[in-house]
Amino acid sequence: MLTQHKQLAQLQTRCQTPEEDMQSFRNFPAPSSSSGGVLWRMAHIVEENKLTLTHLAELEMIHAMENPNQGMWYTFQLLEPENDAQSVELTQFKQQFKCHLSELLRQMSVKIKKHTDEAVWIRIALGSSFSKPNHLKPTYVVHYLQTPYVFVRNLTSKLKPLLSQALTLATRHQGVKEANLSGRNLTSIRDLLMRQYQQVFPTKYRSPPEEEDQPVLNQHIEKEQGGVAAHRRHMAHQAFGDGMLPQLQSAVYMLDTKFRDPNNRTMTEREETFKCVVKFSSIDLLESLRSCASSGIASAPVTPLLSSIPLKGRNYFVVTDNTPGPSSQGHQTQN
Amino acid sequence: TQETLLVESEEHFQQSLAEALVEETSVTVNVRLAKSFPLPIENDESRPRIDLVVFIINLTSELSFQSAEASLKYLEPGYFLGKVCFMVTNARSSSVPAERLDAVRRLAASLHCPLLFAEEQTPQGVTNAAERLLTILKAAAGFVPFTTPLYLSNLTRCTLPPDIDQPSFD
Repeated sequence: MLTQHKQLAQLQTRCQTPEEDMQSFRNFPAPSSSSGGVLWRMAHIVEENKLTLTHLAELEMIHAMENPNQGMWYTFQLLEPENDAQSVELTQFKQQFKCHLSELLRQMSVKIKKHTDEAVWIRIALGSSFSKPNHLKPTYVVHYLQTPYVFVRNLTSKLKPLLSQALTLATRHQGVKEANLSGRNLTSIRDLLMRQYQQVFPTKYRSPPEEEDQPVLNQHIEKEQGGVAAHRRHMAHQAFGDGMLPQLQSAVYMLDTKFRDPNNRTMTEREETFKCVVKFSSIDLLESLRSCASSGIASAPVTPLLSSIPLKGRNYFVVTDNTPGPSSQGHQTQN
Repeated sequence: TQETLLVESEEHFQQSLAEALVEETSVTVNVRLAKSFPLPIENDESRPRIDLVVFIINLTSELSFQSAEASLKYLEPGYFLGKVCFMVTNARSSSVPAERLDAVRRLAASLHCPLLFAEEQTPQGVTNAAERLLTILKAAAGFVPFTTPLYLSNLTRCTLPPDIDQPSFD
């Protein structure tokens, strides 16, 4: 699929050239390799249907909307809504956004579509004052109206301030900040942020005993520490939720705290803070953290450093010492 | 009936091993599973007399070894007269440092307990491990005439190879 994408991109550049080039391209004999054959057939289709660059950009956008779990998505949060922020609806948003962005940029191509699940998808291809919009590296923005969340993929540093401004104005807010959540699966980070996964609410009194993991438990086999294991499992599920969890790939903690290790006195006695970065990576981070907690590898109750990933919906944390006293057993997390 | 207690910090192999053990038809085998000692005191009264305590150690995990070592302290010394056995998994794995297997050997030898090697990833391996455990369990439970657990342990206990302190050439 990746090579086909590249070929589509090559076709996009080809479409800017006149007909003769297409003709000469078609005059070459069809190559024997499959990827060359695909390119040849696609060129044929493009020429026959007189597809233009806009059509191809549209195709690419449809493809991106159907396959949202590709690339790296970063989350932003809109701040300080105005009084009429809640009443912004699609046509108003589209018109305002395009208007504001075109004021700031000359050469650009913007497409806005609404997906079936109420998300607004925006595809932005930037050019400069010398060149046409670069459709090979478009930026995708996904926003759910009436929520403050915006998800962005492939954002360039040039586009970032302009996009922030256009978004805040079009959604009637006063600012936008980074929400410290990133991941490959758009659906997962959306579900995490908007709490659309199965959660377990903390209860003071334990609910009636849940079904055993092995319902056909042999009567000759008995677990000594079954109660402890069930308790651990319950606490792990409280922290991370029941059932299927949103898929995150990593969690990063930037630590800027004093070194604490009773076995290492030289480091502990230093005055200045110890800076380090701790990164957890996994195919499915929340699931692995949950099974670490329920199997006892991670201590239960789950430390707030880990449980704040689903609780606060972020996977990038900066940890500093807020309280200097010896009572701070862990570290305080800063927002 | 014969009672055995399987102690494994990872709580993984003990389940399939327990299922293989209870399939034995000639006697009734009851299996209790635990992660580590001390055992919860609520069960103290209902717990029957245990014939054999098996410590399962996964050689690829240092935590598994340390947990088993720590649990040993809680066991009454009377059990070490033939009613304790060590079972080790993943001995063939390349990620196992040689020192760990040596440390397990020294531990088993110092306590005069047998050391069994098990292969947990195939059903055949689990059945084999269960069979060997059952022979020790039968003797420990007193089902073998003219044999006491202490007598059997003298024959089956782990011994250190004479060159254990010399560096290996792996």
